[in-house]
Amino acid sequence: MKILRLITTLIAGLSLVALVEAKDHQGKDYIQENGYQGPATCEVCHPGTAQAFLGTVHWKHASKVNHVENLDPKQEYGMKNRVYTMCNGNDIVNNLKEIPPSPTTGKTKFTGCNTCHPGNHLQDVGSTGPEAEAAIDCLVCHSTAYDFSQRKPYKDAQGRVAIGQDRSTKAALAIGKPAPKNCMVCHDSAGGGALVKRGFAFTAASDVHAAKSMVCVDCHKAKDHRIPTGYDPNNWAHDGVRISCSDCHSEKPHKDADTNRHTARIACQTCHIPRTGGAFAKDFTHWEQLSDKFYEPTTLRKETNETTPVYAWYNKTVANRPDFIGPKGTRKDVRSKIYPFKIFQGKAYFNKLDGKLLSMDFAPPMATGNTLAGVASAANILGIKNYVPVPGWQTIYFGSNHQVAPKDKALTCYNCHAPNGSLNFQELGYTSKEIKKLTSPETYFNKIAEKMREEW
Amino acid sequence: MRKVLPSSIALALFTASLVTICSPAQAAEVKMIATIERIELKEKSATVTLKDTKSDKHVSVTVNDDLTLDKLRDKRILEGDEIRLKYDDATGVATYFRKTAGC
Repeated sequence: MKILRLITTLIAGLSLVALVEAKDHQGKDYIQENGYQGPATCEVCHPGTAQAFLGTVHWKHASKVNHVENLDPKQEYGMKNRVYTMCNGNDIVNNLKEIPPSPTTGKTKFTGCNTCHPGNHLQDVGSTGPEAEAAIDCLVCHSTAYDFSQRKPYKDAQGRVAIGQDRSTKAALAIGKPAPKNCMVCHDSAGGGALVKRGFAFTAASDVHAAKSMVCVDCHKAKDHRIPTGYDPNNWAHDGVRISCSDCHSEKPHKDADTNRHTARIACQTCHIPRTGGAFAKDFTHWEQLSDKFYEPTTLRKETNETTPVYAWYNKTVANRPDFIGPKGTRKDVRSKIYPFKIFQGKAYFNKLDGKLLSMDFAPPMATGNTLAGVASAANILGIKNYVPVPGWQTIYFGSNHQVAPKDKALTCYNCHAPNGSLNFQELGYTSKEIKKLTSPETYFNKIAEKMREEW
Repeated sequence: MRKVLPSSIALALFTASLVTICSPAQAAEVKMIATIERIELKEKSATVTLKDTKSDKHVSVTVNDDLTLDKLRDKRILEGDEIRLKYDDATGVATYFRKTAGC
């Protein structure tokens, strides 16, 4: 018996060693010996990868979009050129630059939407060719020992604004598949601060997948650096690869047949992501002065898990109007399911002449608080000559696809099947007669009673 | 005519007032926006000295949550950064430590 236990322990130990070794990057010795020279070093073992990366959304910040209305199917859209009220600018109008000095302090600073672009800014969003390939910051996504103090904007000898990179051997020796922190460096601070835009934290306390030590790329499993994404109505650009809960979980994931029946018309997220967070309103027409005397758009925000989502039918196509970006779908449309959304409302300037949302260059308002100067600068950059700015609001439905709650925190029968419950059945297209039936305990009483008896 | 409280009730009232006055100060959560002046990293925690942007007062807090510690270690949070801070004034432990700036 003892010998058997010893053999089992030895096998388990050897398997563990093999696993650890398998995870070690095979090019470690080469990097140790030759140092790290940027993508050229990676290309020794991964030829063609840099060139392929230039064709992905992470480099282009745009792609063709076929599920959003009022867009030209031949054009590419994304962070590069979109205008909506979470950001009110994009890589073009808010290209990384040094803003004018603050009249109060005389100080200036660098700012721009493309600070998250994994290049050096000299080779910018959507650039191509050998220089662009050489400028890719592979380690910002792949190293767990990246020194972020080096990834700062500066002016080079020719006065051009560039972004530094950590290309140290130390960082290169710590490479692997991206850890959550690599992803969250950009995805956590988008929209003007930590957990502002989407408002979810990928931590063990807030997501069951994180609690199981899963990482972002376990679900967003890239193929040739094309990262699969879901169908967030406000996330337009995509690499042509999609992701959904059912990639790992079956369409009938529950033990109970009645609960499984719900999956035909109710998305997993609806019950399993009962909370959201982050910014819920922002005013780009009025910027607040901060302690450093620079200005920022006034933002109303809540923490992770502090707000509740709204629910709507969604067939994975998107309504796109100046006052509204959100899900399309109806109860009658069999492709539609009920999904949860984080609601955001943003105030900005619209062009009275054509009703379109105007963009804003942040440099002028950041220095002086003058928002109309920001609109004028953006109009100049975009070649818009005739416009009359009037303030107005836009409502955006963000997908609520992260922060999966533990089983006991998911919505259950009596959360929705109750008067004034989580779902607004009237808004979702049900008749008064149907609502009366749907909100009666009759629908679940015996089942829950049985469950409670089992628990106690 | 003068009414006198029974001595037992008077004693109880006196004791209760003493307990109220002399009980140790309750720990309170302090909230501020502050600029980092110094970061001292240790193995499992960090001591961060910050300056309150409103009062210019200096505070020193202990950061011990893994997520923030990681940000301090790989310099995603640096000296000079402005922070939204909450801490327990009895223990000095930070309960919320986030950069104010985003992209």
